[in-house]
Amino acid sequence: MSHDDWQVLWQHMRPAVRSFVLLLVLLGVNVTLGATLPFSWAYVVEGVVVACMVLTVLLVSMEVLREPPLMRLFAALGFFWVAIMFTMTLVDYLSR
Amino acid sequence: MSPLDTVLRDPDTPRITLDRPADYLHAQHTLRSWFFTTDHKRIALLYLASITGFFILGACAAGLVRLSLVVPNGQIFSNDTYNKLFTMHGVIMIWFFLIPSIPATFGNFLIPLMIGAKDLAFPRLNLLSWYVFMLGSLFTIVVLIVGGVDTGWTFYAPFSTTYSNTYVIPALVGVIIVGFSSILTGLNFVVTIHKMRCPGMTWFRMPIFVWTHYAVSLIFLLGTPVITLALMLLVMERAFHIGVFDPRLGGDPVLFEHLFWFYSHPAVYIMVLPGMGVVTELVAAFSQKRVFGYKFVAYASIGLASITFLVWGHHMFVNGQSQLASTVFSFLSFAVAVPSAVKVYNWTATIHKGTIRLDTPMLYAMGYIGLFVLGGVTGLFLATLAVDAHLHDTYFVVAHFHYIMVGGTMLAFLGGLHYWWPKFTGRMYPEAWGRVGAFLIFIGFNVTFFPQFILGYLGMPRRYHSYPPEFQLLNVLSSAGSTILAVGYFFPLGYLIWSLWFGKKAPANPWQAKGLEWTTSSPPPAHNFLRTPVVDYQPYDYANKTRDNG
Amino acid sequence: MADIGIAAEPVDLELAEQFTTKAQQREAATLGMWAWLVTELLLFAGLFLCALILRIQHPQSVTLVTTHLKFWIGATNTVVLICSSLTMSAAIVTSRLGWRRFMLGALLATASLGSLFLLLKGFEYYQDYDEHMMPFLADRSYVLAHDQASVLFLDVYYITTGLHGVHLITGISILLWLTWKASRPAFLQTHQNRIEIYGLYWHFIDLIWIIVFPVLYVLNR
Repeated sequence: MSHDDWQVLWQHMRPAVRSFVLLLVLLGVNVTLGATLPFSWAYVVEGVVVACMVLTVLLVSMEVLREPPLMRLFAALGFFWVAIMFTMTLVDYLSR
Repeated sequence: MSPLDTVLRDPDTPRITLDRPADYLHAQHTLRSWFFTTDHKRIALLYLASITGFFILGACAAGLVRLSLVVPNGQIFSNDTYNKLFTMHGVIMIWFFLIPSIPATFGNFLIPLMIGAKDLAFPRLNLLSWYVFMLGSLFTIVVLIVGGVDTGWTFYAPFSTTYSNTYVIPALVGVIIVGFSSILTGLNFVVTIHKMRCPGMTWFRMPIFVWTHYAVSLIFLLGTPVITLALMLLVMERAFHIGVFDPRLGGDPVLFEHLFWFYSHPAVYIMVLPGMGVVTELVAAFSQKRVFGYKFVAYASIGLASITFLVWGHHMFVNGQSQLASTVFSFLSFAVAVPSAVKVYNWTATIHKGTIRLDTPMLYAMGYIGLFVLGGVTGLFLATLAVDAHLHDTYFVVAHFHYIMVGGTMLAFLGGLHYWWPKFTGRMYPEAWGRVGAFLIFIGFNVTFFPQFILGYLGMPRRYHSYPPEFQLLNVLSSAGSTILAVGYFFPLGYLIWSLWFGKKAPANPWQAKGLEWTTSSPPPAHNFLRTPVVDYQPYDYANKTRDNG
Repeated sequence: MADIGIAAEPVDLELAEQFTTKAQQREAATLGMWAWLVTELLLFAGLFLCALILRIQHPQSVTLVTTHLKFWIGATNTVVLICSSLTMSAAIVTSRLGWRRFMLGALLATASLGSLFLLLKGFEYYQDYDEHMMPFLADRSYVLAHDQASVLFLDVYYITTGLHGVHLITGISILLWLTWKASRPAFLQTHQNRIEIYGLYWHFIDLIWIIVFPVLYVLNR
């Protein structure tokens, strides 16, 4: 591979590499929290971190940011329906 | 107006018949050309043939159930046989007939025609989904007939996981497989409707039939995976003792019911929404009027598909669900009545002052509207918490959902079958026989199921093969009605098959209906249209009289 | 290959008969995959819901189980899958550039990382077996037998990881088949978008694991 090729590759891979690093860092945070359990409400932080990781994969790795609105809608649709399922079921379990 | 427009609006423009390509039925003749076809129209007919077979099996099981209930003490069949019979009826009718009925046949055939496409977006996937469907359904049906299952179509845990001694696992596996077929069909429809519309076919120029199928496809995509998972958990628990519902360990069977009804309540709308689409087409065509409040009906379809995901808990009012949850689900269940009523009011308003013709499809559509209202209103009784405590698991529930599923979906299916039969086959059915059949089915249906409302109100529980003697009169009446219903079904079965060979040749547009499917020949050529249609007019363009005057 | 530039091959799509334009065909395929991923998400969501309900109903039993799960293998596996996502991204990028050989390498690297995940997973199951953590084996005692409800969460663990494993096995099989197809010279000219479509699926399996790991191993450990 020539130097120019590396340049081209790096230019195209930049978002993927950045999300890779970000994912590893976020995973590090969660693993640390899980291994040490520094405070009792760590699960809140862990949940937020996981949400960030999911968003990173969706938006950057899966390139939702570059897709037309229709694809974004479908990417969001599933999560919205999962929210419906969880909310309505929890209405039952949290009030038993 | 350009000559092109005239051609598109006027299906009866004389064309030279000689150089027309062979229609899809005659393009190829070998068996191979049917079983390996990727033509959505042929796949639709494959579905039609298979679900008709399944319907006959399911109907036989229903007939035996009604036979058994003629006598109060259950002498005709043993307890076990009776349980297996109603399970067979429910499983076949719901999973293998009603759910694929209108989407997989009419939807498959008509969606590309109605939006001016050459085929679905993924034709090979479409064929695969038929094979998957046949694999799963035949497997389960063999299990149901040879071995038998006694859980009912709902497979509630822990009975299905621990206590039943019947062939639950293979039956579940078959139903899971059929679920993949639903998913693939829904996926295909969603992509087709989004991406394959012809030039000028905007969302609000699509027929309501396509709107309802879009809504149904969303339910397929969003609901089916959850039932797949729920049934898979049952299989794991029963087969390998890896489970989460076992109450002996502290598991919660109600959790299964949550997962089950998260799909299975929306599944009611998988059965009902396509029927609504069919009826909308019928009502507009046989009143020769634009659908009243077109946009409201379109939005109501999407609204129904969404709200239906918020109401599943009304199946569990007395099953250990919390009181707060029951109240919330009860309230939301009432909300479903709103978009449903929007549709009914709009149909009646469409008929109002229309140029009405009471041909067979319209008779079915009228029957549908009446029976759907009755089924829907009794649904409101059941959504009321206090009333449901009395009516839960009685024949009132049985009557209610048969009014929706048979009085609704089945009548819409038959109405649509008659309406599009010329398009499917190129032949007309005999009108007089059709009307007699429609009346018989309507009468037979009501005689069968109306007594069940009364039985349920009086307290007769469902799924028992014996009952107190004072209920015998109504039960005999119901069974007698089912024989009329059966005779009614034989009418279309007989004359539609007869018409394949002896029916009058159908013109492109026998009903003077609007819609792209009527602008192509009957039956259509292999890729639907001789040239890609261009749409520059509203849906249900009945006010435009160019074709009548021309 | 020090200073020789990579020969870029032409990248295009073969128009299928039911479509009118290539853009339409490409978008239809992408939308189809997203629709499929929606179903995958809801499939796993049912299991996450079970896990959540168990955490609400039997919090002590769940904590007991999580402390017995192989936290570090799970964490390592997450790293493995994140790496495989990166190689998959590289495959997509190079397929767009028309660098077929580079792309094949990236695809094979992805498949290898997926297999590594499965190997580690298998080792983890073996350890579970070794530590008597398999209550469904009738002839083997269960180490947490004093806490009956713990069986339920442990079963959710087996079903979730098993289902994810099935997805990975399917994914790797398709990936190898795709690599074989893509090794033909004309592939990028006719089916480049298959790499992108497949990439979406692979990233999504990764995403599911990113949720599975905390749900089973990390929370309230």
